[in-house]
Amino acid sequence: MDRYRVGVDIGGTFTDIVFLDSGGRVLTRKVSSSVEDYAQAIASGLAQVFDETSLAGPDVAEVRHGTTVASNAILENKGALTGLITTRGFRDVLELRNLRMPRLYDLGWEKPPELVERYLRVEVEERINARGEIVVPLAREAAVAAVDRLVAQGVEAIAVCLLNTFENPAHELLLKEVLEERASHLVHCISYEVLPEVKEYERTSTTVVNAYVMPTVARYLESLRRELAAASVDAPLMLMQSNGGLTTVDDAIRLPCNIIESGPAGGVVGAQALARKVGMPDVITLDMGGTTAKASLVEGGEFTRSLEYSVGGGIMQGSRLLTGSGYLIKVPAIDLAEVGAGGGSIVRIDAGGSLQCGPESAGAVPGPVCYDQGGEDPTITDANVILGYINPNHLVGGELTLNAARGREVFEARVARPLDLELAHAAYGAHQIAASNMIRAIRSVSSERGRDPRRYTMFAFGGNGPLFAATMAAALHMKRILVPPAPGLFSAFGLLYADVEHHYSRTFRRVLVESDPAEIDRAWRALEDEGRAQLVHEGFPAERMRFRRTANLHYKGQLYELGVAAPPVPSSGALDRAWLDQLAEAFGEEHERTYGHRAGPEEPVELVNMVLVAEGLPDAPVVPDTLYLDRSEDGAGGGSRNAYFGPEAGWLETPVVRRSDLAGGASGPLIVEEYDATCLVPPGARATLDDYGSIVIDL
Amino acid sequence: MAEIQDPIGFELFKNSLFSIADEMALTICRTTYSGVLRDNMDFSTAFADADGKLVAQGLTLPGHLGSIPTALDVVVERFGDDTHPGDVFILNDPFDGGMHLPDIFIFQPIFAGGERIAYAATICHHADVGGRVPGSNASDSTEIYQEGLRIPPLKFFDRGRANDAIWAFVERNVRIPIQVFGDLRAQLAACKIAERQFLELVDAYGIETTRTYMQEVINYAERLTRAAVAELPDGEFTFEDWIDDDGIELDKPIRLACRVEKTGDRMLVDWTGTSDQVRGAINNTLSFTKAASYTAIRSVLPQGIPNNEGVFRVIDVTAPAGTIANGVLPAACAARGLTGFRMVDCAFGALAMMLPDRVCAASDGGNTCITIGGYDAERQPFICVDFTAGTWGGRPWADGLQGNSNMFANMASQSAEVMEAEQPVQILAYELMQDRAGPGKFRGGAPYRRDIQLEEAEAVLQIRSDRRKIRPYGLYGGRPGRPSANVLNPLRNAQALESKVTTTMFRGDVIRHEWAGGGGWGDPLERDPARVLRDVRNEYVSAKSARDDYGVVIDTARWTVDEAATEALRSSLRSGRAAPPPPVAWTDEAPAEAAD
Repeated sequence: MDRYRVGVDIGGTFTDIVFLDSGGRVLTRKVSSSVEDYAQAIASGLAQVFDETSLAGPDVAEVRHGTTVASNAILENKGALTGLITTRGFRDVLELRNLRMPRLYDLGWEKPPELVERYLRVEVEERINARGEIVVPLAREAAVAAVDRLVAQGVEAIAVCLLNTFENPAHELLLKEVLEERASHLVHCISYEVLPEVKEYERTSTTVVNAYVMPTVARYLESLRRELAAASVDAPLMLMQSNGGLTTVDDAIRLPCNIIESGPAGGVVGAQALARKVGMPDVITLDMGGTTAKASLVEGGEFTRSLEYSVGGGIMQGSRLLTGSGYLIKVPAIDLAEVGAGGGSIVRIDAGGSLQCGPESAGAVPGPVCYDQGGEDPTITDANVILGYINPNHLVGGELTLNAARGREVFEARVARPLDLELAHAAYGAHQIAASNMIRAIRSVSSERGRDPRRYTMFAFGGNGPLFAATMAAALHMKRILVPPAPGLFSAFGLLYADVEHHYSRTFRRVLVESDPAEIDRAWRALEDEGRAQLVHEGFPAERMRFRRTANLHYKGQLYELGVAAPPVPSSGALDRAWLDQLAEAFGEEHERTYGHRAGPEEPVELVNMVLVAEGLPDAPVVPDTLYLDRSEDGAGGGSRNAYFGPEAGWLETPVVRRSDLAGGASGPLIVEEYDATCLVPPGARATLDDYGSIVIDL
Repeated sequence: MAEIQDPIGFELFKNSLFSIADEMALTICRTTYSGVLRDNMDFSTAFADADGKLVAQGLTLPGHLGSIPTALDVVVERFGDDTHPGDVFILNDPFDGGMHLPDIFIFQPIFAGGERIAYAATICHHADVGGRVPGSNASDSTEIYQEGLRIPPLKFFDRGRANDAIWAFVERNVRIPIQVFGDLRAQLAACKIAERQFLELVDAYGIETTRTYMQEVINYAERLTRAAVAELPDGEFTFEDWIDDDGIELDKPIRLACRVEKTGDRMLVDWTGTSDQVRGAINNTLSFTKAASYTAIRSVLPQGIPNNEGVFRVIDVTAPAGTIANGVLPAACAARGLTGFRMVDCAFGALAMMLPDRVCAASDGGNTCITIGGYDAERQPFICVDFTAGTWGGRPWADGLQGNSNMFANMASQSAEVMEAEQPVQILAYELMQDRAGPGKFRGGAPYRRDIQLEEAEAVLQIRSDRRKIRPYGLYGGRPGRPSANVLNPLRNAQALESKVTTTMFRGDVIRHEWAGGGGWGDPLERDPARVLRDVRNEYVSAKSARDDYGVVIDTARWTVDEAATEALRSSLRSGRAAPPPPVAWTDEAPAEAAD
């Protein structure tokens, strides 16, 4: 019998599990997340699948997992009691941050509490200067005293971040030695091994976050391993990282700062892989769920990564200019823009008489009014039911019966009547406004970075993405929409497309024209050796390893860097002056593309950080081209509904169909009902299926 | 005022318009690489209607609130119908629409169907506009003529043709023309993007609806503002505060006087009584005084009101000409930031009289500017500029923030490691200080200090700071914050320097700047002892201050509050008080005698 690969995605409300065999058979399961111990929901979901089928633990070949356990530990302030050792004079780097606040005119603003309180931030007498020279040596006794002091305070984790340590790690390595000697029972990490890069606040914050979540992540992954073993699942367990690559459990336990944004990454990775397959290398993803919507950009078949991000910063509201919220983590992550717009977003009229949607959400509990679980505030889902877009009787799959009449009543009383509008017009307005809020997220990953959204295909998933995609695409003048199979479970499904990937970086500040190519080559090779060792450890043979070099550069004097792929190594095998020129040119082009201008040759380009990406490639394609989904059409489709498409088109009798009905192509208006999502095809648009089972909508 | 006719169309329009204004801001952010713009966000972008009335502001530097209408008024009045497609206007003269010389305004009229229907507006702080010191921001200039290039309202482009004379004058009068030109081009690019996207909006909505909706966006903000103002108590509320000196006449404190008058749904902020303009470069334009006033008032209104003409219709700001709040020629004003920060605190003081439970005590007084510049052994120039503020006063519901930028200017600090890599300096310390915050039921924020050591043979050191003689005030029983300090070589032969100073440093010299502490709010004897315990454990407050200022006795061996001893000490401190504390305190009262 064929063995299955399994993708598991844990969200705040649901845990999604997807089984896939090499013949393309897909089994899916949605279970409620178990907040106390997330591993239990996974175990029970697996058990349910095993019960319903003839499968058992040994049929599982591999488990891939995207998890929010690390970000939740931060959001809920439930990480370890952590201590920090710093250079004398720099005890408050973590608290002073970079002084910026994300809100203006708000006397009530509070900074997020530091993850290490001041009495647990201990200084040591030592100093290394910007050239890496030891100005004040660190005495072993001082290191011992600092460690002992934190141990005496009862900390569970210790982070170390000294000044200029990326130029010379000697003092941090000494502290590491002392930690292993005197505090081996505690988890600890030094900044040189977490993020050997310039800028003390960014490095300290990342190192502290790493230490803070280490025990939580380790406990969780060990518990998950036990649960899997108990279910006789003996397959390798791989974790999704924020950067979109997979890693091992051991690596995730050592460097949990790499899996903080593990949760939303799976969907984007899947989108990238599917879009590549169908020859659409440029897509904008839209992942819309119950409370938020996330957008990201895939360009030339590659997703874009941000060099740093904040966790716990709240939802960004259109502007990326106001930074300073949350906890800063400087590791590469898939670049996502998030807005507070989802099915549960509350619709209201503000004091100035304008209609607003979100960011407040009715959440899963009490949920929209029509769920009849005590929700009192009209939501976007209520609007979609009024408009006829969503089945008014029950959620497809039948788990929940809807009370559409109550939803109408509340929407009428709270929105339509006060605005003196017809109910349908008011609901349509709410739908449009929610779309316009999400458009801001799309703009922030596209036009705000010099990319014209009209050139891109919209790739829509999440429970609500396919319902809004057409409205948004039309407003942005995008021509085509792709809705993948199992859109509501796509974050779990996307995990199955991922490859093993590790990122290594170090600060290496050199003005290109003045630097020695051989020295740069050596430094990069050292990172490559590190990556190779990790891949060997994970069992990859040399022919399935791939190494990519990227460089973060800027014009000397600029404050921020741009990442560019390093040009190929010359045929001689050694980097030379011409290669350096190519690198400078690649940077200039990227600068022009992103920022709209580039400097002349009189302004020197400076290398700041070098990055190495080490990939472990699979021995065979993981996801077959044709998929057979188990339950996607249970109870879906059939008949027609009256649906409202705006004041001009008005109410139209709209066929309700199953995905498979689109095989020969069909014209809107159409409503495609599935187990996990509803897709809207507006009048005038044409929908069909591609070879991989995705719905393609041409506007 | 008509209610909104089509609330959905209106919301969609408003969303698009603000999105364009934001995108203008991002265009500037990404096409510049001047640190002032990128790190300090010292720029703003906006849309105005055909008459120059502000409709939508993108990213708003609070210090620019209200500056664009002032400048646009001048342009509309001066050029009126002599405004054509392809025209672009430029100005920076503080006495003709501008703020201070480094802030250059660029305006582009937008036409549709042959009529002017809007202006795209940008304002950026440029790294240098000439004058006697690099950066054009010396606090010791005494006339505007020392401060750099004055650009009156002019056509930068005339029907699409660049005015080469302006470019040439700029090029010959600024230190780093490449950078200034780059940033000017960023402003032009932002206006172009605004024009393109705005015309798409006009296509979608039609000219008439666009005009109507732009007025509705203004009316909408006015309705929100009026409704919020109407809920505030009526009356007249006054406050005064002083700047130590102007750096030239050191024995002359400078008075700031603010009167807030609130009647129904209107407010007036009147700065009559403020000192005459001074010789030092800290004189405001009226537009900057407006910005400071709006910033304080916006902070007590609900979030989410758009910044536009609708807000300004409700809040009047006046200041007599010839005062530091409204300087006239030849007032120097490059370093007027100092005065702006202090006016925000002063206006907050007046608002605290109106709304005792909603306003904080005095902040650290705004940013200190430390500049260390000179030439290295190869005669290459270096200039190290450090420009931060980070401490709030105590609030009626919470302690003052510490390590957080000022309400008036959301500036970032620079990384010590980057400063060390790029400049001949070593940062020896950057840390919070103990017992510097004003005690209170909710204490002020703890200030920080920076110690900077020079690693080059020689450099000129300039510091612009304040809150040395006149301390950040405490409110309603809260104590004032401790003053700021400048010390040369604190660990060798410490030498105290004035708050505003220009001097020479040599290799190995260390300059220490200590920011002032935030003022406290409420009686420190009412502070929750658990908070005091936490402060002592975290060394923000010493055990001695816990006893003397807060009447809290802490067992530092077990980290507990000795409750009985605390109760006794507090009641004895209370009975030892001569009189109830004043609502505003700039100085320490006579130390209370613990009665036996």
